[in-house]
Amino acid sequence: MTGARDPAIDALLAAARMQFAGSLPAKTADVEALVAGGAWAEARRAAHKLRGSAGTYGFAALGAAAGAIEDTILEGNDGPDAEARSRIARRLEEMRVEADRAAREAR
Amino acid sequence: MSKATTKPNQETATPEPRPVFEPGELVADTYEIRAMLGAGGMGEVYEAHDRVLNRRVALKVVRPSIAADYLLREGRALAAIHHPGVVAVHTMGAHRGVSFLVLERVHGLSLDRMIDDRRARGERFAAAEAVELLIDIADALAVVHRAGLSHRDVKPGNVMLAPGRRVVLMDFGLVLPHADRAGHRSVAGSLQYMAPEALTGDMAEGAAHLGDVYALGVLGFELLTAITPFDGEEPVEIYRGKIRAPLPRVKTHRPDVPGPLDDLIAQMMAPDAHDRPQGAEAAVWQLRALRARVGSGGEARSFSVLVVDDDADMREALTLYVRAAAPDAEIEMTSDGRQAVRSVRRRVPDLLLLDLDLPDINGIEVCMLLRGMQLGDACMIVSVSGRATRADVELLQQLGVRSLEKGPGLMTELVDLVQRMRPTRS
Repeated sequence: MTGARDPAIDALLAAARMQFAGSLPAKTADVEALVAGGAWAEARRAAHKLRGSAGTYGFAALGAAAGAIEDTILEGNDGPDAEARSRIARRLEEMRVEADRAAREAR
Repeated sequence: MSKATTKPNQETATPEPRPVFEPGELVADTYEIRAMLGAGGMGEVYEAHDRVLNRRVALKVVRPSIAADYLLREGRALAAIHHPGVVAVHTMGAHRGVSFLVLERVHGLSLDRMIDDRRARGERFAAAEAVELLIDIADALAVVHRAGLSHRDVKPGNVMLAPGRRVVLMDFGLVLPHADRAGHRSVAGSLQYMAPEALTGDMAEGAAHLGDVYALGVLGFELLTAITPFDGEEPVEIYRGKIRAPLPRVKTHRPDVPGPLDDLIAQMMAPDAHDRPQGAEAAVWQLRALRARVGSGGEARSFSVLVVDDDADMREALTLYVRAAAPDAEIEMTSDGRQAVRSVRRRVPDLLLLDLDLPDINGIEVCMLLRGMQLGDACMIVSVSGRATRADVELLQQLGVRSLEKGPGLMTELVDLVQRMRPTRS
């Protein structure tokens, strides 16, 4: 990056990151609910969004867990099998931990 | 390639020859012909896919009736120049006994098409816009002249507006070293844009490059008025118009154009080469000095960006990253692909940031639609994805689309990209 950035933009970026961090537990709960309901297409989309946005806002571990969920859903044509579901459950747990940590930092 | 061009050895009475290459043909085991981009009196230009380096290129061939050394001369001239305002040459080769040049594939709109589009809408280039374009063209010409060469076919059809507001000088088929006195005596070029001395072959020693300055003046006249300055069907009529006083003035058609700009265009079109700015570099400085007179605030367009992502958090992040590099950018946002195409159709942005995984039509389909309709040619398209596959990235690369990955490094890459794209007003 070159040149000095407007401090107002830095403040906006920090505020956006904090706001995003605060929303992570709810976003994680959304993915969890979709997985629990077997709405795999919707769960994949929600996980996909988090994969990109969490990674971009600097929550790499949460983004990686969301990405793993998306990839696992995409592996099965008729929805994930039992083994895949247990992998998804483990990744959801990781997401919950990371989301809570991020939200605490944001407060 | 030129429409109304007078070029040496050109056969005008013969029927349209068959294309040299066919779509699908593999040239020199490397270049797969995709489509013909243009054909003219001198030869043809094809779009091809370079299978080895996985990129789109342009292949240029000359007709058998044209001496093959034209292509070699063009290739060597381009190889001597390295500048963003001049189309790059990759290599030269031969296939089935036909020599070809492999050039950078410049996606964009030619200036003559832009002039036509505006004319059709009853619009013309604003003075500030025209000055910025002329500065960029003159800048590229100055590099050509410093290499000891004259372009000899400067005209709107040979100037491309590429993504990132890059202005690119194309078609060096008539290029000659300044020192080639005999070459400069042969009459070649596009009538409207040729200096009087180029039409008569009566070029003063050391003044070969001033023909390009003349052509730049005619181009400037056309940008501002949407008409060419010299009427006439026959070369002799056009020639008389070029040397007959009073010369056409921009102000006759555009009273709003500042006097100094009108004067400079007239000076560049002076019948006597010694009365013109003495080189493209001199023209650049005079044009830069005019910037303040034509105003850069009200008339010049601001940097525009279209952000397409179905995730509101990503839209916000991308918007802030663009703002970090370009606080005054005009940013439009949308969450679906069809709306993105509609938006580009309404107004082509400078930069399109496109998520690949969209709910209705995906980002790759959006790119294909835009490229197919030649809508996105003048804007830089950047895909921003969280899980683009290698095949996706290669396909996007072929479409002239740059790929960025969502993640912690996105901000740095995007800010850097926008900073490099923003027009400088120095």
